[in-house]
Amino acid sequence: MKLVGLFFGIAFGFLIALGGLNEYEVIHNMLLLEDFQPYLIMGSAVAVAAPPLWLLERRGFTTPFAGRMSPGRSQVERHHIVGSAIFGTGWAMAGTCPAPALAMTGSGAMLGLVVVGGMFAGLMARDYAETRSGVGLADLDLGMRTAPKVGAEI
Amino acid sequence: MDLLPDRVAWYVVGPLIGLFVAGMFALANKPLGASGAYVQTIAAIRRRASEPWRAWYFAGILIGAVLASALQGKLQLRSGYELMLDLWSLPTVVVVLALAGVVMGYGARMAGGCTSGHGLCGTSARSVASFASTATFMSVAIGVTFTLHWLTGGRL
Repeated sequence: MKLVGLFFGIAFGFLIALGGLNEYEVIHNMLLLEDFQPYLIMGSAVAVAAPPLWLLERRGFTTPFAGRMSPGRSQVERHHIVGSAIFGTGWAMAGTCPAPALAMTGSGAMLGLVVVGGMFAGLMARDYAETRSGVGLADLDLGMRTAPKVGAEI
Repeated sequence: MDLLPDRVAWYVVGPLIGLFVAGMFALANKPLGASGAYVQTIAAIRRRASEPWRAWYFAGILIGAVLASALQGKLQLRSGYELMLDLWSLPTVVVVLALAGVVMGYGARMAGGCTSGHGLCGTSARSVASFASTATFMSVAIGVTFTLHWLTGGRL
C-alpha cells in the first residue's frame, strides 16, 4: 500500500503541475472567473470517476486491499459547512490548496513552503482543539482519523 | 528540457485525474485527499500514523511535481507569488500566506476534506456532505477573491 500511495502521489503531483494548477495566478484567475480550465479539469475528473464507481459498487466489486467496495459517504453537518467556508477563505488568500501547494513547492516556488507550513499548523491546531474538547474526533471524515467508524466517511 | 507544454489541456489532465480518483476507491475504498495526507505525514513523523500510505502519497505529490516541472522546463527557484510581491513587501506576503495556510488547514480539518477529498473524491462517490462542502468552499473562495480584487483596486 505504501508503494501504491507513492505511485498515486507521483501521478497526482505530475498531473497537477501539468495542468498548471500549481500556479498561484492560475487559481487566482480561476476564482476571479477569468480562467475556466481548472473548473473543467475538476468537472471532467468527476465525470470520469463517478460512473465506474457507481457501476463497481453496484456489482459488489471486491477491492484488492479493503474488501467489498463501499466508498464512505456522510450526511451534511454543520462542521462541513463552517469548515469549508473557513477553508475557502484560505484558498482564496493563498491561491492554492493542499495538493497544489505541494506541487507549487516541487516546481521550485519557495513561498509554497510558507503555505504548506501554515497548513500543517492549522491542521494541528484543529486536531488539538478537537482532542481537548473531546468532540468529533472519531466521527470526522476522510478515513484519516485513528478510529474510523463503520463505513468510514468521506 | 522543454518536452511538455506549460499547461496541458483540461480534457487530458482532468480525465486522467479522474482515473486515479476512481482507481484508489477501486483498490482500497479510499478517497485521495490531500489534507489527509498532511495529517498522516505529521502522524508518521510522530510514529503514530493510522494510514502510513498517505505520508508516501504526500511525498509522491512533491516528486511528481518536480518531474513534471522538469519536463516542462519550469523547474527553477522562484517565489511563485510574483503578482503579490508587486503589491506588497516580502515580509507582508509571507505573513499573508502563512495565515492563509493556517486558515486552510484549520478549515479542511474541520470540514473533513479539501478540494481533492471533498471536491474530487467525495463528489465522485456521491457523498452529500462533499457536494455541500464543495459548493461552500467554491462560492466562499470566489467571493473572497472578488473582495481582494476590489480592495486592492484590481491589482490582485
